[in-house]
Amino acid sequence: MSVLEKGLSEEEQLSKFMAKIEAGEKIEADDWMPEDYRTALIKLISMHGISEIMGALPEKEWVPKAPSLKRKLGIMAKVQDEMGHGQMLLRVTEDLLKPYGKTREDLMQDLFKGDLKFHNVFHMATKSWADAGMVGWLVDGAAIITQTNMLNASYGPYARALKRICSEEVFHAQHGEAIIMALTEGTVEQKLMIQECLNRWWDSLLMFFGPASKQTTGSSKQDITMKYRIRTKTNEELRQIFFTKYIPRILSLGLTIPDETIHFDQEKQEWIYQQPDWNEFKEIIKGNGPKSQERLDLRRTSYETNKWVRDALAK
Amino acid sequence: MTENDPINQDYQKAVIELLYQLADDDFIHAFRGSEWLGLAPHIEEDVAFSSISQDTMGHTAMFYRLLEELGEGSADHLAQGRSSIERKNCVLVELVNGPGNYMEKPRYDWAFAVVRNYFYTQAKAIKIQSLKNSSYKPLSDAAVKVKMELYFHLLHWKTWFTQLMTSTDEARKRMEEATERVFAELDGVFSQGSYRVKIVDFGLIEDETILRKLWIQELSPIFQSINLTMPESFGMKHGNGRDGEHTGDLEQAIQTLSEVYRLNPAAAW
Amino acid sequence: MKRINGSGTLWRNRWGDRGGYMVEEAKKTFYEEYEVFSKRTSTTPMQYQFSLLAPNDDMALMMAQENFMRREPVADIWVVKRSNIRKVTVEERDMLQRLDNKDYRTAKGYGYLKKKWRHYEQQMIDEKEILSWGGDQRNDGK
Repeated sequence: MSVLEKGLSEEEQLSKFMAKIEAGEKIEADDWMPEDYRTALIKLISMHGISEIMGALPEKEWVPKAPSLKRKLGIMAKVQDEMGHGQMLLRVTEDLLKPYGKTREDLMQDLFKGDLKFHNVFHMATKSWADAGMVGWLVDGAAIITQTNMLNASYGPYARALKRICSEEVFHAQHGEAIIMALTEGTVEQKLMIQECLNRWWDSLLMFFGPASKQTTGSSKQDITMKYRIRTKTNEELRQIFFTKYIPRILSLGLTIPDETIHFDQEKQEWIYQQPDWNEFKEIIKGNGPKSQERLDLRRTSYETNKWVRDALAK
Repeated sequence: MTENDPINQDYQKAVIELLYQLADDDFIHAFRGSEWLGLAPHIEEDVAFSSISQDTMGHTAMFYRLLEELGEGSADHLAQGRSSIERKNCVLVELVNGPGNYMEKPRYDWAFAVVRNYFYTQAKAIKIQSLKNSSYKPLSDAAVKVKMELYFHLLHWKTWFTQLMTSTDEARKRMEEATERVFAELDGVFSQGSYRVKIVDFGLIEDETILRKLWIQELSPIFQSINLTMPESFGMKHGNGRDGEHTGDLEQAIQTLSEVYRLNPAAAW
Repeated sequence: MKRINGSGTLWRNRWGDRGGYMVEEAKKTFYEEYEVFSKRTSTTPMQYQFSLLAPNDDMALMMAQENFMRREPVADIWVVKRSNIRKVTVEERDMLQRLDNKDYRTAKGYGYLKKKWRHYEQQMIDEKEILSWGGDQRNDGK
């Protein structure tokens, strides 16, 4: 698809491209880019975008149920932001898809067919109001760590979208913290509710960062994204940052981490922890998670039920 | 006037009654809007619609707080702790968004959403305009604030209404059906219930017949422009919500919106 | 898409890596692309925000503010259909380059006047001085 600049060979284009990103310059949608850069971006950003759209659903389960006027407003704004983040990321993806003639419609169909995956955490069930807090606090906390890792991504439109997204994530984290603290400082039942919730989410949170290497699950896109300066840190480095930032905070609220072995090894300068079941991770991503099909069905039903609206105005 | 003055007591009762109508209307309306979150026909629209639901929930909070100040209990309790027979909202806002549930097979009806939102918001705008001259100062102050946000709500729904009405045959058919359903309950939106005379005599708001007339005046040119006939009269098919008449849809709504709160109404959430 | 040399409607560069004049295949969909611009206050300039998909101008406008400016004041909004924007193509970007020899066009090229004015025992009227005239200070003859 890429059209060569006058007189430059493919190799010359590539070395110009690499020199540009290595100098910290940004690539824009219209610029020449190697095919595998484009495909890596499409894969990464479409998954990120659709994860926001699918990720709105588990939290949305608690939107109409939020237990006070203030919480009703807060969680509406929070889930709205997730949809808004999805909007921006899908726009970035859609512009990258132009050479292939694909549109948002195709992205939605890819999602329904199971070709476009979404993050493992959004395949999980929510069971109590504590989940609304947990998603805002720790799931978004994990997301903030992976997203800030790409704030300087070589692809300009993605970096700019992430900048907008990350500034809104600050509100999300605080919204989550407010819910969590109300529970940890609340009644015995509320404390049990949040501890049970943490126990359920812990493995999913570890999985969120992806496997440490492709040996773990057989595939990993971290190599190519690092080569092209889309991200700078490995999955494991990000997971370790998450531990460092959040473990002390979790413990300070009187919560227990459901992993007796977890500790910081001073000599190795890293957190030692129990690995989650990476086979389960693979199954979840494939669409065999506890709520995968239900959530897809929810999205599909609403998309198809409203098709007449899009048809009506498409003229 | 003193606390125990019978006129003062009567006045306060009328204020409280009207505030319940306004607060419950917006609360249930915003709740139905919040069920749509994530399920609208288009992502960009989903985001815009949610802002409207949030604004409306914000107006709700203002009205419940006025009730709180009059000793009716905490705003959160008033919103979540009252049973369906105690509710004063009109039936139109309580009706479900469509078949299914927001958690499962939501076959929500966008035509109904557009028409209900447009007609309701227009009625609200007319009431708010009248409330700006309310004899109850805290309410007229609140009306001035609410009015600021209604311009966008109204323009947003009017755009959807007129565009879908003038698009495909299928859309027109769906929109006309939705319009009929909304008209069948529209009288309930204007109704001031059994306190009507006092509410009006005390100068809290204009009479419902005037409000209804203004609504017709406002929408007639829009109807004409899209070749739609204004019906001779509206209805109150499932009863008058102002007097506690409601459908099972409201019961379901209250169950959902208070599910967590009811675990422990005394707890901080 | 076919390429037409010389004539035809200007092909609005869809993904920019091709220049030239082409006929656009105009099939309108629900998903038209709009660029969104806004002003924060009445005195600030228009600023680019982001893009959105909408079926037409009015709908794009109805969605613009809540999608990109939910948390900031807005004094004005423009939505522009992307296909109406004539962008510089990648090939045309070469036209943006120029030599650094245009001192004659800037104050920098006239810096020597400062010294000359000193000779006439006057101060040079520089940018700082000129922009300070916009205020409502009184003319006291000095």
